[in-house]
Amino acid sequence: MLEKIIEILKSIRSDVDFEKEESLIDGGILDSFDIVGVVAELCEEFDITITADQLEPENFNSAKAILKLVEEILDEE
Amino acid sequence: MSFTSFNFFVFLAVLVVVYYVVPKKLQWVILLLASYGFYLSTGTENLAYILFTTLFTYAGAMYMQKLRDDNRAKVQAQGDDITKDQKRAMKKEVEKKVKRVQIITVVVNLGILVFVKASGFFISNLNDLFGVFHWDVSVPMVNIIAPLGLSYYTFNSIGYLLDVSHAKHDAERHLGKFALFVSFFPSIVQGPLFRYKDVGTQLAGTHAFNYDNIKFGAQLILWGVFKKLVIADRVCAISNLVFSPEFLAGEYYGSQVFFGVLAYSFQIYCDFSGGTDITRGVAQMMGIDLPVNFEQPFFATSMADFWRRWHMSLGAWMREFVFFPIMLSKPVSNLSKKARNRFGAYAGKIVPSVIAPMVVFFLIGIWHGITWQYIVNGLYNAIIISSTVALTPAYAKLAEVLRINTETFSFRLFQMLRTFGLLCISRIIVKAPSLGDAFVMIKKMFTSWDPDFIFFRDGKIFTLGVDAPQMTLLIVAIMILFVVGILRENGLKIRESLAKQHFLFRWGMVLGLLAFVLIFGVYGPGYDASAFIYGRF
Repeated sequence: MLEKIIEILKSIRSDVDFEKEESLIDGGILDSFDIVGVVAELCEEFDITITADQLEPENFNSAKAILKLVEEILDEE
Repeated sequence: MSFTSFNFFVFLAVLVVVYYVVPKKLQWVILLLASYGFYLSTGTENLAYILFTTLFTYAGAMYMQKLRDDNRAKVQAQGDDITKDQKRAMKKEVEKKVKRVQIITVVVNLGILVFVKASGFFISNLNDLFGVFHWDVSVPMVNIIAPLGLSYYTFNSIGYLLDVSHAKHDAERHLGKFALFVSFFPSIVQGPLFRYKDVGTQLAGTHAFNYDNIKFGAQLILWGVFKKLVIADRVCAISNLVFSPEFLAGEYYGSQVFFGVLAYSFQIYCDFSGGTDITRGVAQMMGIDLPVNFEQPFFATSMADFWRRWHMSLGAWMREFVFFPIMLSKPVSNLSKKARNRFGAYAGKIVPSVIAPMVVFFLIGIWHGITWQYIVNGLYNAIIISSTVALTPAYAKLAEVLRINTETFSFRLFQMLRTFGLLCISRIIVKAPSLGDAFVMIKKMFTSWDPDFIFFRDGKIFTLGVDAPQMTLLIVAIMILFVVGILRENGLKIRESLAKQHFLFRWGMVLGLLAFVLIFGVYGPGYDASAFIYGRF
């Protein structure tokens, strides 16, 4: 699943090393439009719903954080 | 009591002493008393509004909390007697009720803001409409003066209600501590906006005396006073003159307009960011860390970048509570899917990217004031940002075809100047006496320039409110501002770096700046500095 998330992130921003980067939001690497793009792809790929109040920096600062969020949502659903 | 008045600094000095002398558990009480004392000093008629917002928001959040707590207790009491599905159904039912409370409390808070700020606008436009149809009726004007800080504490309160309803944190159970979150005096004049989870908990907490906080806080205040008294209150002579109806009634050129809007750009930045520096400095002296509100907006390379660097706390609020919910809402996502199916993937991405900025910047426009000028300015910003997003692939292709290296300093400089030019138009739209004047001013900027003015002939440039010695002083002060901006842009933490310097250099810099402010600040005996521009929002 992590590889798929990194693939999605790469499709939005190909110039970032998503395997290592840990401050995608706090470091200003992804902007609001990028985040929404990532969320749309994640929802489509994993058939989940991500709501606006889940868009916290700590959920999107790294590919691993995104993986954790997706797993949590899948667990709840 | 202005932030740059002598009385304020006496008030602050007394407050700091009392704050660190009383038992730590009473610090929040001192801040609450100081906040209400400060607020009352601006007029007792404002009190009813802030008290209502505080009590209503507190009660709304506590009720949402109670709904959840009661449900949790009920689930716990039933133990293993209920299934996971039943628990889920109970939670869903409670969340429905929470949502209802959320909507009511947010609408009431927003309703007060809109009523106070917009009633004049709606009535005058309604009367104009009656006039168009020659109807002999007119609605009497309601003249309500917006209480100080209404927009700021209303937005903070709405943010708090939304966070509690989204279960981001529990409601504050202590009314006094919650009242402090709403009324914290340094930020009530002109922000920054903040979230309860970031600042409310700090306000309610205890703070040991820390010399670094006092020192860094005082330095930040000094820097803010420098921006406000030396630059903003001096350069305003130019913008006030150029944007006055009397000046615009005579013959003038685009070059004077450009000079006026350049002056106004420095005025509004130094006024607003200077005020925020004072606010953050005062809070830091109490050991409270408020959010950063500006990050060198003059170096923005696009309008979107500008809004990430200017009034950042409002941007963050809008992103969190308006932009993301719209972008991820069902209607927008359905529209996006339809656009993708019909016109392809690119259209699917672009549709939400156009809708959300339109709403956000319309709201940012009317947040500043409900007038046609702010509405037009909001839409102007939205159109530029949306079109930038939509045209990004085309720009990339163009740069490739023209073989432009977009990674160079020269290209970045071009982007900065282009953004500044776009901003000048935005500033004219809101600062001109009317939309009609703004249109004429913008047109003149593109069509008529006075060569004598541009090439400094006959001292023409010194006839717009600032004479030669004052202009020299302004240039020196703005150069200091730019040097500090460049250093910060390159990641240097000015105050931390200064603290590491030799004693003589360190004190030389601080005392030099203090002397500069004392000698060249625009004030004198009995003079009260002009009110902060963003204080009226």
